[in-house]
This record gives sequence, C-alpha cells and structure tokens, in this order.
Amino acid sequence: MPHLAVNDIHANYGALAVLHGIGFEVDRGEVVSLVGPSGSGKSTVLRALVGLTLVTGGSVEVDGTRIDYAAPRAVKAARDRMAIVFQQYNLFQNMNVLRNVTLAPTKVKGRKRAEVEAEAMELLKLVGMEHKAQAYPDELSGGQQQRVAIARALALKPEILLLDEVTSALDPELVNEVLDAIRRLAGEGMTMLLVSHEMSFVREVSSKVVFMDAGRVVEAGPPDAIFDAPSSERARDFFGKVLR
Amino acid sequence: MDYNFQFNVVWRNFDALLEGAWLTLQLGVFAFTCGCLIGLVGAACLSFAPRPVRWLVHAFVIFITNTPALIQIYFLYFGLPEFGIRWSNEACVLIGLTLNAGAYLTMILRAGFLSVRQTEMEAGETMGMSLPQRIRYIVVPHIAKSIYPALANFFIVILVMGTSVGAVIGVDELTGQAINLSTVNYRWLEYFTIVALMYVVLTFIASIGLALLGRWAFRVKARIF
Repeated sequence: MPHLAVNDIHANYGALAVLHGIGFEVDRGEVVSLVGPSGSGKSTVLRALVGLTLVTGGSVEVDGTRIDYAAPRAVKAARDRMAIVFQQYNLFQNMNVLRNVTLAPTKVKGRKRAEVEAEAMELLKLVGMEHKAQAYPDELSGGQQQRVAIARALALKPEILLLDEVTSALDPELVNEVLDAIRRLAGEGMTMLLVSHEMSFVREVSSKVVFMDAGRVVEAGPPDAIFDAPSSERARDFFGKVLR
Repeated sequence: MDYNFQFNVVWRNFDALLEGAWLTLQLGVFAFTCGCLIGLVGAACLSFAPRPVRWLVHAFVIFITNTPALIQIYFLYFGLPEFGIRWSNEACVLIGLTLNAGAYLTMILRAGFLSVRQTEMEAGETMGMSLPQRIRYIVVPHIAKSIYPALANFFIVILVMGTSVGAVIGVDELTGQAINLSTVNYRWLEYFTIVALMYVVLTFIASIGLALLGRWAFRVKARIF
C-alpha cells in the first residue's frame, strides 16, 4: 500500500478547472517530484493536498485511509500528516525565527514550550539556521527565510513534506543552501513531494518524476527515463527546452 | 487688554482639577481599551463572518459614526430612563464613549485586517491554527505594528475630545471640574487656561506611554520627540 495515493483528483479556481484528474503514488521514504510548465497545476496539487484548494473529484488516501476534504476534522487530520513549504516562505513577520518554528507545536498541539524549543533548535541546526534563532524574518535573506520555513514545517513532525517551488523566489547563489537542506532530509528518509524547476536537482533526489501539463499527468516514471527518453511529444518538447 | 489674571484662585482649587484630570485619564483609557475589543470583534466580523452579521456590524458603525457622541450620551442618560433603565451619569459617558470608540475602531482596525498578508494566514491554516488563533497570533500583532500611529492618535481624540463631553451631563472630569469651579468665582479665563495646559500635559504623558508600550510590546519604532 502506498503511503500517499492521489487518485484522479479534480480542482477548480472559481469557474476555471485547473486539475483534470491527477493521479500518482508516493511510497514511504520516497521523494517524488512534480515537474512541468507553469500553469500545469503542480502547485495546485500540493495546495489541494493540504486543503487550501478544494478537491472537487477523485480521492486522496494516506496509508489507505481516504481524506474527506469536505469535513473540517478530516482536513485537520490531513494537515497533521502533511506539512507544506511555500515558494514565498510565508514566515510570520511579527515573530522571531524561533517563535516561527515553535508557534504551531505549542499552540496547536499543546506541547511544552521548553521541550519544543529544544527540538526547534535541533531543526534549525539541521538547516543551518541556529545562529539566527532570535532574528526576525525581515532581517534574513530569502534563502535563510526559506530554510527557516523548512524547519517550521518539520517542527510539526509531518509524515510527508510538501515543497512548493521552494527555490523559485531565490537569488541563484542562495538556491544551493536550500537544496542542501532538502538533500539532507532526503538522506534521512523523509517522504517528500516536491514541485520544482531545478531539473538537475530533481533528477538527483527523486525516485519518481511526474510530468504534468494543463492539469493532467502526461507521464510518470524514474527520473532517468523521464528526462532522457520521454515517451510523449509534450514532455520531449518541454525537456528539450529546459534541459541544456 | 486690562484683564487682571488671578491664578491664585486656580491654585487654591488645584486638587479638584487634578482629580478631574485623573477621572479624564481613567475614562479615556477605559473607553479606548474596551473600544479596541469591540473594534477587534467588529473588524474580525467584517472580514470573516457571514453576510447578515457583516450587515449588522456595518449598521452599527454607520449609526454611531454618523451621529454626534453628545447625542448618543444624551440618549443613554435622558432616553433610557423612559424605558426603565437608569444609569449614573458616569456610566452613561463610559458606555457611550466605549460604543462610540468601538465603531470608529472597527473601521480603523479593519484597515489592519485588510492589509494582513494572506500568505501568512494560509501558512497558519495549513499548520492547523484555528481562525481565532490566526487572528490572535498573526493579525493582531500585524495590526498593532502597522496601524499603531492611527490607534495612538485615536486614543488622544478619545482622551481629549471624547471625555470632555461628560461635562454636559455633570461628570466631574477635567472640563466638568473647570466649569464647576469657575461658575463659583467667574475666573473662567484662568481656569480654562490652566485646564488647557493640563490637557496638553495629559496627552503628552499618554503619547510617551503609548510609544513606550508600542516599542516594548510590538517592536514599533515610534519616535517620541
């Protein structure tokens, strides 16, 4: 049984249908990447998984249990198991780094502050940000903020980490520090679903790549097969433009 | 001008003026604090509540902001007894001012709700925070920081212009005390010169207090001087 199974999901923004039946599976400890042109619905898939965009058809199963996105309690349960990191980091501007990381575990999960803070410092160390624990987001570079955002998501102890174009808003020289953090997580066996335009990185860390276009999965498979020998015309065209 | 200022009359009754100033400060702080709570609930409703509730809040704000505070307090003091509700003059001023401040603060705080970054709210939501938690931890600190100057200005308005309305129904706040005292010996000019200066000192102290509070609680880098 796959850890996360996405079956034929549909989603709309108002009257506009953006996902026309997306399906893929993620096994425990696996890194799966969604790639494809802008507007293909990759980010929407992640948003739908955490209940920010309503799923209007199909099903999502975690460990075989279907998530009913119409029920607030089920959405909350889904958010307990999946944490998302956004392209624009979305840190809480009015709190320092440590508080950003500890807020949800203390206030949502009701855990003891001292214990959570010790854990938070470990996570900040993991992403190389422990020296900035007392800094505020507006005092940090984009890459630093994104690494804090990753630590903040991990503090919720998710089973699956969703990464939504986490390097797209960064200056080129800051990209690597974030990718290194993700690489380290992959090495530790974290299950991840990532949307990215960093093709060489995707190829390196992913066990499976899902190529999407216009709200549909065009093809999916191991990275080497998808990148080197795509079977569809659309994928050949896309990779022909981005891989060089 | 051959008016002969006799400030010694004022100094003889200065204790009474100080008492008035103290009451003015209390009325202002209470009305502003409770008004902020009303405003916070009102603004939250305008952003998140279903339509009928939003209409009610709008109606409250329109009604209050388009009628003079004096008339509202008159209504509480002279109108409610007709319905068997009798409040003291101080209670009427306090409640009237609080409702008045609540309506204005609803609109001031609304600006803060509208300017909060939706992305932060989404992040909070995906982390499992409930709406009240998101308001408490994301919106309120944002409001406190971004519209702190507007809030501080409005506090001064309540403190000076709001509370002095109480004099009309016999509340012995600073203006009321000055009227009481000067009707005894007709030293209006002396009393009101001193009282004006006392208001200046009061607002000055209040401004410093607010700036320090903002700096300490919300990282607002307000300049005091």
